[in-house]
Amino acid sequence: MPILTVANIHKTYRLGRIDVPVLHGVNLSLEAGKIVAILGASGSGKSTLLHLIGGLDRPDASPKGTITFDGRDVGRFSAGELDSYRNVDVGFVFQFYHLLPELTVLDNVLLGLMIRHGRLGYLAKARECRERATGLLERVGLSHRLKHRPAELSGGERQRVAIARALVTKPRLLLADEPTGNLDQATGGGVLDLLLDLRAADGAAMVIVTHDPNTAARADEVVRLADGRVVGR
Amino acid sequence: MYQSLLTRRYLFSKVMPLLASVAVMLCSALVIVTWSVMGGFLAMLIGTGRTMIGDVSISWPNIGFPHYQDLRDRLEADPMVSATAPVIQAYGMVALPNGITRVITIRGVDGPSFARVTSFKDTLWWQAIDTPLAKDSDGRDPRYQLRDSAGFKRLRDSGLNLSRVNPDTGEEEGGVVMGIEMSGFNLREAEGFYTPKVVERRMPDGSITTVDTFLPASGRVGITVLPLDRAGNPLESLTKKLPVANEFRSGVYEIDRNIALVRLDVLQEMLRMNAGLRVREGEASAGTGAVVVDPQTGKETFVRPSEGELIKDPARVTDILIRGQGDRGTGEQAEALRRRVREIYDEFARAHPGEVPDSFDIEISTWEDNNRFMIEAVKKETALVLVLFAFMSIVAVFLVLAIFWSMISEKTKDIGILRALGASRGGIVWLWVRYGLAIGLVGGVAGLVLAYTIVWNINPIHEWMGEQLNIVIWDPRIYYFTRIPSQVDPWHAFYAVVGFVLSSAVGALLPAIRAAMLHPVKALRFE
Repeated sequence: MPILTVANIHKTYRLGRIDVPVLHGVNLSLEAGKIVAILGASGSGKSTLLHLIGGLDRPDASPKGTITFDGRDVGRFSAGELDSYRNVDVGFVFQFYHLLPELTVLDNVLLGLMIRHGRLGYLAKARECRERATGLLERVGLSHRLKHRPAELSGGERQRVAIARALVTKPRLLLADEPTGNLDQATGGGVLDLLLDLRAADGAAMVIVTHDPNTAARADEVVRLADGRVVGR
Repeated sequence: MYQSLLTRRYLFSKVMPLLASVAVMLCSALVIVTWSVMGGFLAMLIGTGRTMIGDVSISWPNIGFPHYQDLRDRLEADPMVSATAPVIQAYGMVALPNGITRVITIRGVDGPSFARVTSFKDTLWWQAIDTPLAKDSDGRDPRYQLRDSAGFKRLRDSGLNLSRVNPDTGEEEGGVVMGIEMSGFNLREAEGFYTPKVVERRMPDGSITTVDTFLPASGRVGITVLPLDRAGNPLESLTKKLPVANEFRSGVYEIDRNIALVRLDVLQEMLRMNAGLRVREGEASAGTGAVVVDPQTGKETFVRPSEGELIKDPARVTDILIRGQGDRGTGEQAEALRRRVREIYDEFARAHPGEVPDSFDIEISTWEDNNRFMIEAVKKETALVLVLFAFMSIVAVFLVLAIFWSMISEKTKDIGILRALGASRGGIVWLWVRYGLAIGLVGGVAGLVLAYTIVWNINPIHEWMGEQLNIVIWDPRIYYFTRIPSQVDPWHAFYAVVGFVLSSAVGALLPAIRAAMLHPVKALRFE
């Protein structure tokens, strides 16, 4: 039973008066604990697909397609359910890290738990949350950088913070958008190893978007995307 | 939780929110200072109004009413009444020793009873003081320097009795107690006390001589009044040179400039309101005689009436001032006293039918009624100024709005990240509104501190501006009081701060909604 199913998904963006189709009936499925890599060139629609899967965007209503996570149709989620889905079920790792520059490393990692628990809930579980976050930062090798700001970190360190942030909420689905795309080969390789190791430890399923065949080769399945269509598996 | 964390981080990591806080601080300080000064002005006006007229007054202007001693006895027998004072209110002129003549308000008062009803005793300026004024650290105040002088000590009694001993006859003469600003001979020093001015005059032989301007020592002023007959028709004006017994300072420039107190019996005599014989009404046009015109020659002759046409006329006053028992600080308490006074007047009017004004006609008013015109005017001015300054809070709204609009553009990516991590639209709105509240709170509290500092030091600041920059904003001739009120009403300050905190939140609301409506993917891709 797949944890994620994408069936006949279309997505069109509107630029002024012009409709720009990005995805044309994409299908894929992902078993729990497995990794699928979406391989494609720039502009092939792979990041758009990732955003749709992560609930950051909605697919076209017509032609009708569905994204099903754990038996639930993500397309039918209310705004609140989508927020909860992104917070509880999904963890994002972005190419450009997307850390909040004013927050420390530790606070950046804790952000998802703060959002999840609310003020009182977080205060009640603050110790537990901090232990989880510091544990993850220790595992990514940044226990000495807890109070540092993102601007004080290297690219590889920032991405490791982003990985810790994505995993701190124990998501069942990890979505990584070119996680090594902004790093040199050596650093990127190390970050990818770390990401895959930690994911494996948590047992999360993972969709990884990449244009690098070597990165894709680390996945259980590879879906090739070109011009918004699946062109090979 | 993340909202409070980000609010703290955003607040102190950027220059823009600090500038917004400074703007809110200046706006709120301005409103609090203005409200404090205007509110203090109003409170001083009300307080001073009461100190000069008591709590309730019975008034029958111009010709006055007789049997006032009976009315006083009835009033003072009532447990609600503490004291009463008979008063005559009239207009007249004062002729000063330097030849200047001015139109003034003259009040005939019986010193001791007037002092029981009002704060007359405390307003008498020339009396010995044991400690100099707060700002007079050198003790230059003549009242302090001459505190042991026997002559100076006598001034207080002279003032209280509105009389002065004539050095030629050795007899006590009924006199006048003028407002301290009336003569123009008293120079107000920066420390808050007065010193008699040094006035020099050129003599006929060309020499310069110094004129003694300390009127309570030996000065006299001419007081001119226009008596009326019982029908209210004017008679011949009458002028008397009266000794100046003392001077008073109420703190209200208008009063201190334009009111002179004359001993009651002296003014009654001048205005022909004293006890005596009068021509029966309808038989002569004048109160003490008649002018007969010869139809042949047209010559006017004053004819004294015969004894048979005269009636006994008791002394009259135009007002009775009443002080109530205990605390009468509120308008309601004064109103209760007014109702009781009217009941007593009803009985009095029934006891003297046809001789005193009917109880429906007589004016019985509280201190609030008597000052209503001035109080209402100041209330309206205060409201007007506050409305104008309320527009400043709208400025604060737009200021915060503009700054937040700009900041949200800068923070678009942060909003996308938060949305990707599961933050709701409501959470994003609350983040920015909370941020606006924080800016309002920081600015408002800083404004409060600034306002307190300014208001507490407003008089020294004003004096400094006058000395250094030649800017005099608070002209006592315009604003009644010689000192700027320097008290902050804590509630007014609280309302102003809350107003600006809410204004800042309102200013943040629109950008906050814009932030919440941002598409997460577009926000993440924003460069």
